Amino acid sequence: MAELLKVIFEHEGIFLHPSPDEGGPEQDLLVSGTLRVLEKDAEILVEYRPLEDSVDPSNMLCAGQDSSSVVEWAQCPGEKSQSRQQLETQQSYETEWDMVNAISFRKKNCTNGEGSLNHSQERSRWAFSVNISDLKSITVKDEGWTFLILKLKDAFSSLPALHFHQGGSKDFLDCLRRFALLTECPEDKTCLMVSTPNRALSQSFENLLDDNNFGLVHKFKRDPYVATLGSFSKVTNYIYDALRGAEEQQQRPPEEVADLLGEVIPGLEINQQEEPGFEVITRIDLGARPRVSRAEPLSADDWSKHQDPEGRMKDEATLRQKIFKGGLCHAVRKEAWKFLLGYYPWSSTLEERKSVLKAKTDEYFRMKLQWKSISEEQERRNSRLRDYRSLIEKDVNRTDRTNRFYEGLNNPGLTLLHDILMTYCMYDFDLGYVQGMSDLLSPILYVMENEVDAFWCFVSFMDQMHQNFEEQMQGMKTQLIQLSTLLRLLDLAFWNYLESQESGYLYFCFRWLLIRFKRELSFQDVLRLWEVMWTGLPCQNFHLLICCAILDSEKQKIMEENYGFNEILKHINELAMKLDVEEILQKAEGICLQIHSCKDLPHSISSILGFDAKRQVPNQAGLGGAPRPAPQQDACSNGHCRESRPQNSCRGVSTS
Amino acid sequence: MTARKSLLKVILLGDGGVGKSSIMNRYVTNKFDAHLFHTIGVEFLNKTLEVDGSQVTLQIWDTAGQERFRSLRTPFYRGSDCCLLTFSVDDNQSFLNLSNWKKEFIYYADVKEPENFPFVVLGNKVDVTERQVSAEEARMWCQENGDYPYFETSAKDATNVAVAFEEAVHRALAADDKADHLIPTDTVKLHRKPRSATACCS
Repeated sequence: MAELLKVIFEHEGIFLHPSPDEGGPEQDLLVSGTLRVLEKDAEILVEYRPLEDSVDPSNMLCAGQDSSSVVEWAQCPGEKSQSRQQLETQQSYETEWDMVNAISFRKKNCTNGEGSLNHSQERSRWAFSVNISDLKSITVKDEGWTFLILKLKDAFSSLPALHFHQGGSKDFLDCLRRFALLTECPEDKTCLMVSTPNRALSQSFENLLDDNNFGLVHKFKRDPYVATLGSFSKVTNYIYDALRGAEEQQQRPPEEVADLLGEVIPGLEINQQEEPGFEVITRIDLGARPRVSRAEPLSADDWSKHQDPEGRMKDEATLRQKIFKGGLCHAVRKEAWKFLLGYYPWSSTLEERKSVLKAKTDEYFRMKLQWKSISEEQERRNSRLRDYRSLIEKDVNRTDRTNRFYEGLNNPGLTLLHDILMTYCMYDFDLGYVQGMSDLLSPILYVMENEVDAFWCFVSFMDQMHQNFEEQMQGMKTQLIQLSTLLRLLDLAFWNYLESQESGYLYFCFRWLLIRFKRELSFQDVLRLWEVMWTGLPCQNFHLLICCAILDSEKQKIMEENYGFNEILKHINELAMKLDVEEILQKAEGICLQIHSCKDLPHSISSILGFDAKRQVPNQAGLGGAPRPAPQQDACSNGHCRESRPQNSCRGVSTS
Repeated sequence: MTARKSLLKVILLGDGGVGKSSIMNRYVTNKFDAHLFHTIGVEFLNKTLEVDGSQVTLQIWDTAGQERFRSLRTPFYRGSDCCLLTFSVDDNQSFLNLSNWKKEFIYYADVKEPENFPFVVLGNKVDVTERQVSAEEARMWCQENGDYPYFETSAKDATNVAVAFEEAVHRALAADDKADHLIPTDTVKLHRKPRSATACCS
């Protein structure tokens, strides 16, 4: 597979001095080779190839000095063998513990070509290629000549020292400085810390000069104010980072944690660019936030008034609007939730619902029988079922145990919670049971007081939340990215502050999002919040605006107290049970109206909130004006049917 | 030059349901709640204690034990000064998984010399009568895996909890002192500033 490579820097006569034990049979080995800095797919790579290796035709079809030449990047056997040991370690993990390679080897460009086992392997084991963003530090040493020790963020791989016997180390470092910030470490003057937060910036400047990437230039001409401001906010971060230098050293662990989290949640660093043309979100004047009021919960009377003699629910839009505004009286919940969650169609008659119920009851017990009828012998051979069961048993005992419905020993509520979760495993064995699901079921079961109804309502809720719990947790990643995008628009200063504290990826909102604020509010308030969210009003992904509303209330404290990474996490965790649901809902609706009334809303924002499809969102008083989101749109709210752009497209787009 | 660390990061690892959060809460607040929620995400508590006449802040990190959450848990391993490997004496599987937890920790925590890293092993829930793991088995494992100190704890009745954390502190400080005498030339030396206690102490 041929890729377009741009050679930015090239220097021959760089030597490695393998220590005798590394060198194996070849003692006193000196390896000579070429060091290059390459640009490939908008990534900056530092690549070292020993001499023989670089002329090995199996490695490169045509390696030229010419920066536009196409270099065959088919294989790099050296890299492969160099990291063989690490890979072995990793594989043994995978078999034992099913490790996901979340951290290292993520950007290796090596594809496993055939024929890598040739005679040059012994030498080519010294070749390596690393992404500049994976570099942690460079130590500059002198022994009559200069040699550099490159350290990776991933401490498991180490690189051999590069000896510049024929000079060139300064040019090499100068070249790196074009793409990364090299700051002298205060503890050790010879050590340069590498950071690449400004990559987007430096590259957007490069893009300015590059005719092929006129996106920014184009924008700049059209709207210089917006475009510059966007870049300036990056510059601010860049300068901030540069100035922080010494301070940063002392807070290294949180920063590293943040780096790693950034890798787990990719796409955040430059999330504001999501399509070609370099859309810059910046300080758009949002206007004043309208004050909205909440209403009384919908009463049983009012609910039954909306029912026709056959049992159809009339004027669904009005009902949704009322529920959005005030929630439901507890007495109505048992019935109304079934409609809100899509278990019963709004237009169904009582008769139709009876037959739905019958079919669903049969289906439920069929699935329940499946796990109930598994013998101990069978279960012994089914480790996944065993694991699900063991975790469910543990978690059922640790879910809402102070609630009357689940308290005490041998409470039937506990058995129901257990049985429904086990049956859900049979309904969706691939997902099975993941921690957090018992939190989602508990309020539903509490309201339904019925195993079958609770199960199917839970299934509907899980349809919305499914992606949060999947192996790769894509739903969580998507939501964190979307939330960051929203927060940036709403409050750039706060967003910048969080960024400066390595918290821009908003990890501290993890629990909020995973289980929809279940642990943050009192049980009764959770019921209120959820029924309001299930109306699908006033916009798609309203729960993200709820996050923004809570953060808006906390930002003053966080910034005034100058909280760092750990303190922010702790502060947010400790908000649990101290939040007022009505206050939050009021504020979040205000934010929604504020954003909606904003002209020239960036596309990224309007697509998160679903303003594109229907440019019609509730005015405060307007009952019935709101569109009824189809049940499937609820699924969208979790990123389900977002057009899924490739994971790293953000990065690619901003730089290509 | 060899100023002692005044902030120690200790992390509790082990299978879901072995009692990590309960151990942390027992130590920090001296309370036990049999109906504590299972942990979602990552939490930590601080506790200040005096060691050899100077104040040390212990930052205790508690994580969700389920496999699925690994990628969001492991970044927090970095910078740990001590790791408390926890199992429950009434759950043999949680004991068998200790070595996986150890490996996961070493892999993700960026531990320079795994053989010298201070691990402490806790066999929790000794108040429960139906044991599946004997003290001998557990001690054997500790001995074979690096001579780790082993404590049989009960978060419920407070048995050995404080002792175990104190041991963790001493091990962490000892490892730190040792590292101070052997600074490799190409290592960046790190000092950690104590974080403001008012801001993060509970």
